[in-house]
Amino acid sequence: MLKPLADWLDDRTGSRRLLAAALDLRTTAAARWRNTIGPVFAILFVIEAFTGLLLMLAYSPSSSTAWGSVLYIDHALWMGWFIRGVHYFAGQAMVILGGLYLLRALWSRAYHRPREFNWWLGLILLFLAVSLSRTGHLLPWDQEGYWSTKIETNIAGGVPIAGPYVQKLVVGGDEYGNLTVTRFHAAHVVLLPVLLAVCLAAQIALGRRQAVAPPAGESTGTGSSWLEHALKNLVASLVVLAVVIGIVLARGGAELEAPADPTSGDYPARPDWYFLWLFQLLRIFPSELRLVATLVIPGAIVAVLFLIPLLDRLLPRGLAHVLACAVVVALLGGAGYLSWRALAVDAADAHYHAARQEADAARDRAIALARDPSAGVPPEGSTFLLRLDPLTRGRGVLEKKCLGCHVLDGKGQGEQTASDLARFGSREWLTGMLKDPASKTYFGAVAGAEGMVEWKRTSKLKPQELEQVVDFVALFPSIPDDLTPDEWLSRKEIADHPGLPLFHKDCGTCHVVEGLCEGGTRDAPGLFAWGSHRWIERMVRKPAALDRYGYLEPKHQMPPFAAEQVSSRDLEMVVRFLKGDYLKPAAPR
Amino acid sequence: MSRRDLLRRLVSICSAGLALPLAIPGLAYLLSPLKKGSGGSSYDALARLSDLKVGEPRAFAVIRDLRDAWVKYPRQPIGAVWLIRQPEGVDPPVVALTAECPHLGCAVALAADGKSFLCPCHNSVFGIDGKPQNAVSPRPMDPLDIQIAKGDDPEIRVKFERFRPQSDRRIPLA
Repeated sequence: MLKPLADWLDDRTGSRRLLAAALDLRTTAAARWRNTIGPVFAILFVIEAFTGLLLMLAYSPSSSTAWGSVLYIDHALWMGWFIRGVHYFAGQAMVILGGLYLLRALWSRAYHRPREFNWWLGLILLFLAVSLSRTGHLLPWDQEGYWSTKIETNIAGGVPIAGPYVQKLVVGGDEYGNLTVTRFHAAHVVLLPVLLAVCLAAQIALGRRQAVAPPAGESTGTGSSWLEHALKNLVASLVVLAVVIGIVLARGGAELEAPADPTSGDYPARPDWYFLWLFQLLRIFPSELRLVATLVIPGAIVAVLFLIPLLDRLLPRGLAHVLACAVVVALLGGAGYLSWRALAVDAADAHYHAARQEADAARDRAIALARDPSAGVPPEGSTFLLRLDPLTRGRGVLEKKCLGCHVLDGKGQGEQTASDLARFGSREWLTGMLKDPASKTYFGAVAGAEGMVEWKRTSKLKPQELEQVVDFVALFPSIPDDLTPDEWLSRKEIADHPGLPLFHKDCGTCHVVEGLCEGGTRDAPGLFAWGSHRWIERMVRKPAALDRYGYLEPKHQMPPFAAEQVSSRDLEMVVRFLKGDYLKPAAPR
Repeated sequence: MSRRDLLRRLVSICSAGLALPLAIPGLAYLLSPLKKGSGGSSYDALARLSDLKVGEPRAFAVIRDLRDAWVKYPRQPIGAVWLIRQPEGVDPPVVALTAECPHLGCAVALAADGKSFLCPCHNSVFGIDGKPQNAVSPRPMDPLDIQIAKGDDPEIRVKFERFRPQSDRRIPLA
């Protein structure tokens, strides 16, 4: 049924002859396993093109959307994690096969005249495979991609004279951001693959020319049919794909770190495995010699590799071959040793482990936030996932700015001279404070704040009455910010609250609540909307105000924090953290 | 079976072995948009009865958290609804029509006379009851379910939905 159609097509286009020419099924060489490296590399490239195209259906190249779209691929699309995993690890496999191809060419002397171009093209293909891996690394715009790209481009920028210009062109300016993503994306999906395809085509054409007309003096063995060649190539590709899929399944796809955050302090960026040796070189060389590690050594290696085919112009062939093999083995040995050192140094480094753990926690939190239907990636971009998360940001600001004096669940960073902020504003905090105000958790650590302690000694409230006062005050933190005291007091549920007269009688002699009680017996902070966002904000901005703790001796007062020190948004994060107003982390499994 | 046939068969098997582990997940990946959405549309309060005058349609935006693939936009307008108050004694007292044209999904506007609807894209015209007045749209404007509480100035709550354009029947999307 298909034959008439094929005949029709052939009649109009000469398609059969074209196809036969393209496949060029004549061959004189014997099919050998060691000759499958090149074809497997080519098949991996096709796999990369296929999975890459699929990824492009969902990937969104900008600094605000890239991370979210990659997470969407991993978690929302059917088999998205698998497609991205195969794309990632097959890319690594291309780097390995590119290297193996060169090693085999070296070993079997396939770089001598007239095969110099096979060698050079092989080298270029390996560089292109590495470049594809490096540019792809940035695209998720996660911490790993961001920081390692920053490091690599800064290394490039350190090259004398041209370096800074090249860096600017690659990055798209001085800042890493949208233009970096779009540039790397264009390089990764068009520029580099096209170059690689062209080089691959050239390599295949060269190989055919040599197979059809073998260079003089080369024995090619008995010719195998193209079927045998095809079968061996396919079986080898299958084995490589099986390994790639095995890794993808074992690791659950490719890694995605927390979204890139240029302000994060402690991200332990590490290069991919094939650059670990360079990374270790950087650690070894002192600053004044850093160009040796970043430019001289890698440049010399590349130069030597490119010059290997020309060695036998200078030396006898046999000697040149031995020398070339020795150089490459020595380089591999050195790189292997340095890579092992890099891993060993990290393994023994407690600070690295701590930073790594922190990065893991940030990643898990970011992914949980992004996946939760009630949270999601904010329109500002993925970087703001954690910046707008009270648990991450609020806690971070609290630790940095507050825990020098305050403590959180008993833990602080200096001598405790203020209350424990854990659950401040909650009913639990209130109950505890009214039970034992002299505890260090409440006012015990604050010199001059003995008012509540004295109240405790003299108060004649019965337990049930105290409970009603707690009920009443526990309403304060949720008073909306746009409500005046009068408006609030005129609400029926407030005016009729059984705790109100008790509060008025027992608390109102010291504490002021405008329109309800005047205070005056002794100094105390105003309590309207105590524990709410606006109360805490005023406490943080103006702790010396008369309606806060201005009555304490200046040296015992809390220092004020202006908006330059704690921005309004950060303050909101702190307040929401204290109130527990955030997506609760899932219980550890 | 000759050696050549065997080789041919093995080559086919290996090709399939190479292609299928990628083609099948790839197909699943491509078909992801067909996944069932979390769905379950709810009622949104759009207006109060006193906001509406008999015979004067007014458009109200439906404000919801919008999830656009991976981004969540809090409290965004996701669609518009025309509310038309009915004359005294008619039940229900308000009719809700989605502003999405059943022809090809453009936003239907009020015509200049204020007494009919006009879609600016292909000039489909609808009466104030939503019935088509020319042959452009295959069906009347889509009415939405409505809840009106008791009371003197009740809230009007509307269940916002989208329907497949072009069809002469009303088929909810998702």
